[in-house]
Amino acid sequence: MDPAIRLADISKTFFRDNDRKNGDEPEGIPVLKSVTLDIARGEFVSLQGTSGSGKSTLLHIIGLLDRPTSGAYHLLGDDTAALDDDHLSDLRNKNLGFVFQSFYLIPYATALENVVLPGLYSRRPQAELTARARTLLEQVGLADRMHFKPARLSGGQQQRVAMARAMLNNPDIILADEPTGQLDSTTSGEIIKLFRQVHESGTTIVLVTHDEHVAAQAQRIVRIHDGRVVEDKPTGA
Amino acid sequence: MGFGALWAYRLRSFFVVLGVAFGIASLTLIVTAVDGANRKAVEMVEMFGPDAALLFGGDFRKRAVGTRVLTLSMDDARRIENSLPGVKLVVPMRMKPGQTVKLGSRNYQDVQVVGATGDYAGAWNWPLAEGRDISDDDVAHGAKVALLGGTVVRELFGEDSPVGQVVFIANIPFQVVGTLVTRGASGGGHADVDNRVIVPLSTLMQRFNLDRKYFRAIRVKFLDAEHMDAHVENMRSLVRHQHHLTPEQDDDFTILTADEILKFLSMFKGGLALFLGITATIAILVGGFVLANLFSLSVSERSEEIGLKKALGAHRSAIMVQFLVEACGLTLMGGVLGLFMGLGLGQFLSRLDILTIQFSWKAFFLALAGSQAVGLVFGLKPAKQAADLDPIRALRGEG
Repeated sequence: MDPAIRLADISKTFFRDNDRKNGDEPEGIPVLKSVTLDIARGEFVSLQGTSGSGKSTLLHIIGLLDRPTSGAYHLLGDDTAALDDDHLSDLRNKNLGFVFQSFYLIPYATALENVVLPGLYSRRPQAELTARARTLLEQVGLADRMHFKPARLSGGQQQRVAMARAMLNNPDIILADEPTGQLDSTTSGEIIKLFRQVHESGTTIVLVTHDEHVAAQAQRIVRIHDGRVVEDKPTGA
Repeated sequence: MGFGALWAYRLRSFFVVLGVAFGIASLTLIVTAVDGANRKAVEMVEMFGPDAALLFGGDFRKRAVGTRVLTLSMDDARRIENSLPGVKLVVPMRMKPGQTVKLGSRNYQDVQVVGATGDYAGAWNWPLAEGRDISDDDVAHGAKVALLGGTVVRELFGEDSPVGQVVFIANIPFQVVGTLVTRGASGGGHADVDNRVIVPLSTLMQRFNLDRKYFRAIRVKFLDAEHMDAHVENMRSLVRHQHHLTPEQDDDFTILTADEILKFLSMFKGGLALFLGITATIAILVGGFVLANLFSLSVSERSEEIGLKKALGAHRSAIMVQFLVEACGLTLMGGVLGLFMGLGLGQFLSRLDILTIQFSWKAFFLALAGSQAVGLVFGLKPAKQAADLDPIRALRGEG
């Protein structure tokens, strides 16, 4: 079976807008330098590195939010270079789930409505979506907060809503970008526990963090430094 | 979730709604006013009769200072009746406005008293409700008999029949011989046509201190409406001859026909449509630009939401549709509000007798269609701007 994620010789260079105007050969800033990485289905992997190491950019490429400057990326066996925007959107919708550092909940919608959101782009019946969203909110321990707006939820609760949202369409892979970055250590522990539960149900998880303790909760740590993979080891967890 | 965003940004939404509403209000006003003018034109022609002409003393079109307006004499009327081919009826007319009509202790003021020869009802296509018309005999004898208009009947008699009763007009007793059906003031713009009393022309001239020789107007009814142009031309030659006008002299009279009235009304309508059309266009454009600007601002403010939705798998088209639906939802509200504002303003103006308005479903559909067009046209650019956002930059709030 194809790996969940197969990155081959991925590079990403950012160009500033002014560089192009001069007519000179643009001198970009290389952020990722020839990254090759396979992540198997069902794995729980941490991408760990300091700020500016390129780990977030790598996650964006994996999440189809950005395209690499060079190299090949196969997601669940599909060559992503060949796909147009709408195909990439469909892949994000059906096969990927996102959890962000600052939650990104829609402020004027309730917890339940926020969880249902990815379903609005997948043409599933509303009743089925709502039922699924309720089940997920119960699973993350927010049965009594379903109709609260984000402003009335704590940070940890907001991140649980975001996790429920990421799971709505039963994705193969959940991508998390510093999901505990805005939470205290107790709440962080609870969120990580939730990730492990999701992982045990068979979902592949790729978690980006600068925090070694958080990274150590995964099965495998991939350390990124200066745009390259510098270490790739199992944790024994 | 639906229109949650519109409520979340309600002040902005309010301005968009208001901007569009002003435009649609103008549009509604223009449509109802033009329809009203149309209805008015049809009514006036019906009332006037397509087979009739009104001959006025004095030249309306070139009303020079000091022009005589009392130029039509009984002799003119007789010559028209006897010599002009195709004539069915000639009714010389004089009127005396502002009279008080009394019944016992009841007073009704400011009534138009109209002098007429026999067969007033026939000459004006104005059916009798009750009783009989003024007869030639009444005119010959200067009889003190009167035909009452609907308003006068209602004000003085209520539900009772006035036929056979005696009313005092300027303290002169008149016996009521008949009543006219109520024509109804057609939605303002003109005086109440039912507020009149018809008496024999001879009686009016003898009893109300009017010039005995000349008339203000003569109404001429022809046998057929087909050759009105020829009839009018013949009448003009005849009256010029009667008045001994040389070819260099202008007419000292004016001939008005249903056609002329229509021509005047369509000019008026055209002017109205042009003026209100320009106003409506400007108002709608302003509403549209308000919409486009506020939505553009909204797109930058809501870039996180847009980035998130893209990350969750929204296609470009879904983002566009979302913003267009929001825009059209707001303009729909603006359209409905504008429709009511326009109708309200129309009502107000017609109360003040400035305009006649006529509500129609056409106005309703035009208002809704207009508002949706504004939403689509002016919402398109911001919606496209939203759809084109790069998800990562959008999530960082770099809309």
